[in-house]
Amino acid sequence: MSGPIPGTTETGAIEAATPDNDWQALSPRARLLFIAGTATGFALSAALGSTVFGFTLVPALLWWAPPACALLAAAFGGWLGDRRYRNTRWILDGDGFGLRRGRLWHSDTRVPGSRVQHIDIRRGPLERHFRLATLVIHTAGTRHSEVSVSGLDAGDAERLRDRLARQTNDDDDDLE
Amino acid sequence: MTGGDVRRLHPMSWLFVLLQQLKQFVIPLIVLLFLGRGDRNQLWSLIAVIALVVVALWRYLTFRYRITGDSVIIDSGVLQRSRRQVPFSRIHNVAIHQSLLHRLFGVAEVRLESAGGEKPEAEMRVLRLADAIALEALVRRRGAIPQAAVAPPMDDGTLLLALPAAEVLRLGLISNRGLVVLGGLAVTVSQLNPQLPNDVSIRWGKALSLFFGSHHFSVADYAMAGTALVLAFVVLLRLFSLLLALLQYWGFRLEEHGRRLTVERGLFTRLRTSAPRRRIQAFTLHEGVLHRLLRRRTLDVDSAVADDRNDRRSLRELAPIATPATCDALVRHVLPGATWPPAHWHLLHPRAWWRLSLPGSVFSLLLATGLCWRFGAWGLCGLSWLPWAVFVARQHARRAGYAIDECLVSVRAGWWSRQWRFAELDKLQALQLRQSPLDRRLGMASLWLDTAGAGGSSEALRIRYLPLQEARALHARLGHEIARRPLHW
Repeated sequence: MSGPIPGTTETGAIEAATPDNDWQALSPRARLLFIAGTATGFALSAALGSTVFGFTLVPALLWWAPPACALLAAAFGGWLGDRRYRNTRWILDGDGFGLRRGRLWHSDTRVPGSRVQHIDIRRGPLERHFRLATLVIHTAGTRHSEVSVSGLDAGDAERLRDRLARQTNDDDDDLE
Repeated sequence: MTGGDVRRLHPMSWLFVLLQQLKQFVIPLIVLLFLGRGDRNQLWSLIAVIALVVVALWRYLTFRYRITGDSVIIDSGVLQRSRRQVPFSRIHNVAIHQSLLHRLFGVAEVRLESAGGEKPEAEMRVLRLADAIALEALVRRRGAIPQAAVAPPMDDGTLLLALPAAEVLRLGLISNRGLVVLGGLAVTVSQLNPQLPNDVSIRWGKALSLFFGSHHFSVADYAMAGTALVLAFVVLLRLFSLLLALLQYWGFRLEEHGRRLTVERGLFTRLRTSAPRRRIQAFTLHEGVLHRLLRRRTLDVDSAVADDRNDRRSLRELAPIATPATCDALVRHVLPGATWPPAHWHLLHPRAWWRLSLPGSVFSLLLATGLCWRFGAWGLCGLSWLPWAVFVARQHARRAGYAIDECLVSVRAGWWSRQWRFAELDKLQALQLRQSPLDRRLGMASLWLDTAGAGGSSEALRIRYLPLQEARALHARLGHEIARRPLHW
């Protein structure tokens, strides 16, 4: 793809040529997993933390404190998980794969197609149940040598893998 | 099965395999010999050593290698036989290592390393030095002229840099390796004898309190004694560093053989390592305060070969120490297509100094709070750190910047200790634009450019605190540019 110099708009760096060349949301089925996963993590750590804290500092442990803390943390975690879900976007275009994450702590990762080494698709039991998949893209780099996206539609993930693998193969032919 | 006669390692190689194995057991063996009183323990250690000798001999007898037109074929394994074919084109680095004992026997240890992975592709312990050099030459030519291996042309390379003794001494003055050695020594001692550091400190404490308790000293005396101690320590450290630099960098030579760069160094233990020029992934030019006083810089590179953390044998340093002009010339020589130093540096966000001063400011506030809590109003002196932090940040921001052209992306940073980090566009991997909530408020973002082999001590190639629009534009432009360029190792 040696098209015009890409624009630098707020929404997407490269103009969409096909409907596929646009920033995509994660699968709607993943939303529940994001919310539940983050909420559970927060609730567990809050329950543990408040129990330990209560035992060591407060002489008479208030029995309702840990569950209350866990509930509050779960609500916060759920809200955070939902935000995480909504603020994750991916794109596959002629240049390669792009991933945007977060709003407050924002990151925009781009893996050029020519730099993809190999691609994994991982599917846990829960993900299999919801027909979801986690895509892991490996590069030869060091700090960002592994870019992973969870909560992709299983079909999307396979399509992504095939297209990225094809881009890599094309480049291999150019080598030497 | 094309060509190439079967070869073995040097007949004495069993000795070096044995020594290598003994190295792992040396501490238990010594402990056994000195602490284990009684004949049974000594007998056990003798049996263990004999067993190791047998294994080492067997390993020598079972190890064979063969050089064909385009690869090295290695048969090895004591019980489990394995055959490994390493194509010359996959070998990134040939490391030849020669300790004092190796030199007595006229042999060398050879490692063939490829990109990535934890272990070298093949390790030959040990070959005759001439054979090792011939193998290196063969890999360099990718086995194109097998006859050349018979008579290795030793001095066909062009010398790029050689360090005379004075330069090595300067390097010792600048480097802080003495501290590392001292730290390592302290750790080893405390590992061997956990009580020792405690005992030593208690004994010294007693001696000191006795001395100072019986005499009456003024504050000035204490200050003098303290200063003298610190000075003595610093001098000792520098002496250590000088000694180490002499040991490690004596006779440093950087040569160019065709497309390969070869580094040779060391006083007793000679180290020779070579890697193709184009496999250098990123460059780091460093100038600390001492560097600046002596008008020198250091040029390091990242190569994408497996790097053992314990002994760094891969090509790391192009110029351990050299004048700025020499460093620049070296970069231009190694990167013929690039213009170095860049003609024009782009500055960071106008308020980048604000962001850079943040850690220092927060530290100063915390310090003042802590001191106030302890000493009352006098604690406000802690705030005096604040202007200094801001001043340093402003100086840093004034100097920091980046440059991008057709071939190279470079970042410079630092004020006291300055650093230039650059890589070819061809060598960039994934890109990431990052923004923290604070960056968001200030309208800036940072760009992280990933390269291979940048693990461990080398810093990330990142352009910090750019104006958001500029960062986004750069992110998109670089992403597009890298996608167009196939990955060249």
